Amino acid sequence: MSRTARLRLFLAAAAVLAAALITAATELPGFGGHHHPYGERAVAAGLARQTANIISSVNFDQRAFDTLGEESILFGSVLGAAILLRLARDEGKRRAAAEPVLPTTRLFGATLLPVTLLVGGYLVAHGQLSPGGGFQGGVALATALHLAYVAADYRVLKRIRPLAALDVADALAAGTYAALGLIGLAQGAGYLANTLPLGTFNQMSSSGLVAVINAAVGVEVASGVVVLLAHFLDQAVEIVHNGENR
Amino acid sequence: MNTADLLPLAVAVPLLGAAVLAVTGRRLPRPGRDALATAWAAADVACLTLLWARTAPDGRAVSWLGGWSPRGGHSVGVVLVADRLGAGLALLAAVLVLAVVCYAWRYFDEPSGEHGGVFPALLLLFEAGMVGFALTGDLFDAFVFFELMGAVAYALTGYRIEDERPLQGALAFGLVNSAAAYLSLLGIGLLYARTGELGLAQIGAALDQHAAAGHGRDALVVVAFVLVLAGPLVKAATAPFHFWLPDAHAVAPSPVCMLLSGVMVELGVYGVARIHRVVFAGAGGLPDDAVRDTLLAAGVLTALVGAVMCWPQRHLKRMLAFSTVGHIGLFLIGAALLDPAGLAGSAVYVAGHAGAKAALFGLTGVLLDRYGSVDEHGLHGRARELRLTGLLFVIGALALAGLPPFGTGLGKAVAEEAAGHWGGWLPAVFVLVSALTGGAVLRAGLRVFGGLGARPAEDPEAAATTGEGEEPEIREPGRRPPVPMLLVPALLLAGCLAVGVLPGVGRALAAGAAAFTDRDGYLAQTLGGAPAPAGAAPEAWWTVPGVLLGLLSTLLAVGLATAAVRRAPGRDTSGLFRVTVLPLRRLHSGLLGDYIAWLTVGLAAMLAALTAQL
Repeated sequence: MSRTARLRLFLAAAAVLAAALITAATELPGFGGHHHPYGERAVAAGLARQTANIISSVNFDQRAFDTLGEESILFGSVLGAAILLRLARDEGKRRAAAEPVLPTTRLFGATLLPVTLLVGGYLVAHGQLSPGGGFQGGVALATALHLAYVAADYRVLKRIRPLAALDVADALAAGTYAALGLIGLAQGAGYLANTLPLGTFNQMSSSGLVAVINAAVGVEVASGVVVLLAHFLDQAVEIVHNGENR
Repeated sequence: MNTADLLPLAVAVPLLGAAVLAVTGRRLPRPGRDALATAWAAADVACLTLLWARTAPDGRAVSWLGGWSPRGGHSVGVVLVADRLGAGLALLAAVLVLAVVCYAWRYFDEPSGEHGGVFPALLLLFEAGMVGFALTGDLFDAFVFFELMGAVAYALTGYRIEDERPLQGALAFGLVNSAAAYLSLLGIGLLYARTGELGLAQIGAALDQHAAAGHGRDALVVVAFVLVLAGPLVKAATAPFHFWLPDAHAVAPSPVCMLLSGVMVELGVYGVARIHRVVFAGAGGLPDDAVRDTLLAAGVLTALVGAVMCWPQRHLKRMLAFSTVGHIGLFLIGAALLDPAGLAGSAVYVAGHAGAKAALFGLTGVLLDRYGSVDEHGLHGRARELRLTGLLFVIGALALAGLPPFGTGLGKAVAEEAAGHWGGWLPAVFVLVSALTGGAVLRAGLRVFGGLGARPAEDPEAAATTGEGEEPEIREPGRRPPVPMLLVPALLLAGCLAVGVLPGVGRALAAGAAAFTDRDGYLAQTLGGAPAPAGAAPEAWWTVPGVLLGLLSTLLAVGLATAAVRRAPGRDTSGLFRVTVLPLRRLHSGLLGDYIAWLTVGLAAMLAALTAQL
């Protein structure tokens, strides 16, 4: 197919799909109405389990099985990236070079790194109480480490990044989630049932299994994202085709 | 242990196994990793066998996760529902994963060190995705496991990074499937906005209520139907969404191909049938006639495209990939009849096909291992020394052609007969596709393992993907084929035979098909209520016309193969070839932009076809 033929074909078909989608959208319930069948049920169910952050209740309790699948996708992606970005037979590694850095940039990074770590930790720890949680906090934690790369260079990042430990932590946390579900199964309440003590509403020790799963996801996401980015950064910074200058 | 607990356990076991392998794999030696992977795969087979045995033939096992069982027909939780077809397909996936793990014992050039254990861990994650997709009764949950299956499969496809082609194949696979998955998510969003529900049964019931309240059928339902089915249809490689499949299957490692062709693609057809049946087959959905005609047309098109493209291939894996496209078309035809008989035929056919096709991919892996080539012409006569491999390959080709009493033949016979009730010409499609695909593989087998006929001349004008210059998947070419690489295909072929010989298999799948099509029963049993008994199970056993048509397609395949082998070399470009194959081959350009364009065209055509019939 020539370029223009392909474009015409695509645009014609896409126009049909777009028209259909717009027609369908006009039949959706109006915006901002009072009828929220799922929302009402989810809020009631979350409050009954002493979970202040209803999103976390949906993610880690009511639809925890979906989240188990999503978290496995991240785990699988990290493993897949490890395989696809491994050192090929015709590739070698070179040492990352030290980069010149402005003192102000260095100061910025050195100040922000611990603050970002703290924010990430807070987001994970309070996932059952306030907006945030394992996924969001985990990404913030992983971002914090990479401030070292942005504000200094790759060698600094490598020094503060315990890659081998994070690799294991990623797999362990992924397995922990699947294993936590077995508690409910062993107690006869069903897989991933929230059978832990529910605690007091709006306290750190509330929501039972939600807080535990939330923490496991925080560890998995933080370490998974660091490992994932490490594979890509290695490709970009360190790995060279044999024959290129080292 | 409760039967209901087996459903989530069947997903959790491989997930746990993947984590364990990823952690311990780097410290264990290769045999230890293989033993661990085999143990986990076997454990899941045991779990699913138990589930299959405990699922009532005409009923379902229902498991509300986290104990969120419905109150007043509503729940905030996720439900898993297993009937015999869903549990059977999950079991098939688990058995194939076990077979692949064993096949790869001595085969695979698996990286060790920090990447040790990653390959089997990915296989187990793939298994969790497939089992979850087969067992779920929730539309969004199905999407999640669909994505898990995909994400892992893309990585497994691109496994051989030293070569560019696997990466291109994986990229086409990944992008086309992800694009379709986003469209599915859009469709799920439409249904959720209308009904406030995500479970299949709940959405179906809510749509029916909407219709019962006097609202007519509107564009939202039609658009949601097309969008939601985009994902499974692309995964099932339905024409014109099939372009990614040969590109990916031709380049993925052979053990991965066994899984992709043997069960993953079939899960797409299962998803189409399940989602249509539970969500859209009621009063609030779409009329059966419109759906049947549309899906039948897609099935016939897919079957013919696959068969016509399979015949001229010389790259063995590409040939097998197009044969999968052809057979998927036949499965879709069976499912599109929307009656228990057609579905029972497809179910038996899928079980038999998985054995035959996985065995053929495994045997092709032996060739790749030994000669570093999967080119029918280049290998002409070179594999004469591999007598047993050749014998198994020819048996696999005959099974593919539908030779009784193989399971493929039985499935073909049952689906054929069911299809004959709807269109007298449909059985001809079954015979033609079986003959062409089986014939092509048989021709390759006779040439490669038998050295029959003259060595095909090279024709520089006929642009074809050769199978030469492939990376052997191990580091020591020329060794004797390891025992598991022959034993596993032999066992898979025996399984294919068993599906056709043991009457219990067909009977169980037929009863499962009756339960599958019993929508009221599914809704009642999932949402709480007493299900009425399902309708009578169709017959799924050999009939005289079935046997005769199976023999006919086999004879045609043998005739085509011997004629092609005997033909004078160099006369490859007849008029028919120029008219049918060449234009079709040009469409398989390998360009991602083309594939995405065809994806939109196919969906727009489906939308137009459905709208026109309402």
